Amino acid sequence: MASSPFLIHPPWDSRLGNRFRLPDLGLGIGLRTVHFRHILEKWPKVDWFEVLSENFMDTGGRPLRVLDQIAERYPVALHGVSMSIGSTDPLDRGYLRKLKQLAGRTHAHWVSDHLCWTGVAGRNVHDLLPMPYNEEALRHTVTRVREVSEILERPLVLENPSSYVEFKDSTMTEWEFLTRLAVEADCGLLLDVNNVYVSSFNHGFDARAYVDAIPADRVVQYHLAGHSNKGTHIVDTHSDHAIDEVWDLYRRSCLRTGNVATLYEWDEDIPEFEVVHAEALKAGAFREQALLAAAR
Amino acid sequence: MHPGEIEEAVSSARARRALGKARIEDVILPSRTLAPAERVRIYQRMYLLRMEEALLTDYPALQHYLGARAFHQLVTDYVGAYPSVSYTLNRLGDHLPAFVARWKGAKRPAVAGDLARLELAMAEVFDAEETPSLGEAQIAAVPAEDWERARLEPVAAFRLLAFRYPVNAYLQTVRDEDHDHPALARKDTYIVVYRRDYSVWRQDLSRAAHDLLADLAKGKRLGKAIQAAMARGGRRAPTAEQLFRWFREWASGGVFRSVRLR
Repeated sequence: MASSPFLIHPPWDSRLGNRFRLPDLGLGIGLRTVHFRHILEKWPKVDWFEVLSENFMDTGGRPLRVLDQIAERYPVALHGVSMSIGSTDPLDRGYLRKLKQLAGRTHAHWVSDHLCWTGVAGRNVHDLLPMPYNEEALRHTVTRVREVSEILERPLVLENPSSYVEFKDSTMTEWEFLTRLAVEADCGLLLDVNNVYVSSFNHGFDARAYVDAIPADRVVQYHLAGHSNKGTHIVDTHSDHAIDEVWDLYRRSCLRTGNVATLYEWDEDIPEFEVVHAEALKAGAFREQALLAAAR
Repeated sequence: MHPGEIEEAVSSARARRALGKARIEDVILPSRTLAPAERVRIYQRMYLLRMEEALLTDYPALQHYLGARAFHQLVTDYVGAYPSVSYTLNRLGDHLPAFVARWKGAKRPAVAGDLARLELAMAEVFDAEETPSLGEAQIAAVPAEDWERARLEPVAAFRLLAFRYPVNAYLQTVRDEDHDHPALARKDTYIVVYRRDYSVWRQDLSRAAHDLLADLAKGKRLGKAIQAAMARGGRRAPTAEQLFRWFREWASGGVFRSVRLR
């Protein structure tokens, strides 16, 4: 991968963080409309905010005004749900142009989306639909990730999705697919450890094997969240505190990656700002352990 | 997304073209607890919930007017006819006013259509590009003798609407959680919706004020627009005092972005 335009320090050294040298922004939370007033009145001490790209790409109203004010004071990263990197539809260049503009406007440290497709034949179901994990899908996705990274002029960061179906056509595991994609397309990874847990429950794989296999040097961000266990399956609702098993996965992964920017997501029945922020701050203890282990 | 059950969707003509003779079990693996169709159903259920949530954000008063059950059915019918074709859900409801105005599930489709048009205008104004409003200094800088040939351009966050029912009054009671809703009897009403300091405002207008503002928004010179208003009004033509009050309200409310004399 020496020809990569984004590779700054080969070979990777864990003390440098990820191989793209994207910064460890600390412990942040997802920026949500219900917290706008609190943030603008209190300017709370938060390391950084993750911004849902699509909520700000097509508005010239109050949301964008608030985002401008927040981006002046806090580090920001963009996180999208509509790139549809796995779809067979052509890439939406209008969408990518607006995304790049928003990244420039907010001085976003990076731009992420999901390993998924959200629609086909011009239709959009606005869901993160899983892909079959095979060679054909890998070739297709590698090409598109490289194209997007060139358009955005920065390495795309991709998140592992939570999923509820698996395809018979898959010939490799999700972590094998994600690893090969990251290396061959030279992209960063947003490792959502709650998604790993949710999918491991739904599909019956070992979540620890997943996080152990992810290339640590490409992880530039973590996601943490709560979910809803329906008995027969788990739904990734972002509606609660993270469970102990998810924290354990986070700790396990931090030992491999070192300290990486970490973000707590809460999207359903969103509580007061301090409750969400307190959940994010819990990650600090696990990061300390990772630091101590790295120092030994 | 097919509006019916999974089995219907898989056997639809469109799915047959894509899948050939394959059955759902030939494509999707079962889990320890769920059959392939049950796994796909998780996505199907979330799809409609997501569409309803998105439309409810823009159309809360319409949902209140129709009731939760009818609104759910409206969403199901609507997204079947107008599925999302954009990366953003902000545009999902663009066709809803016209759709609900002829939707058979509504007891009074014309009322529902008017209410939806008002809510769509509010959503559009909320998201419109921010353009600076005409300031007092800019207004004062225009010589008195030049106002007759002045053209006043409204801000981007501006919509002018005419209704057959008093839907603005109805919407206000919904927002106030006041269940003493006004009777939605046939009555022509006129509203200007605009944004000031990033807040959306609605102002009831008389027919004469609406028509005058409409002429100005189309780019008619102020003198010609006033002449037209006087001609339309006959004995009910606006007085000089009324005209002065309207302009003062519109200008101080931030409705105009520029004044051009050429």
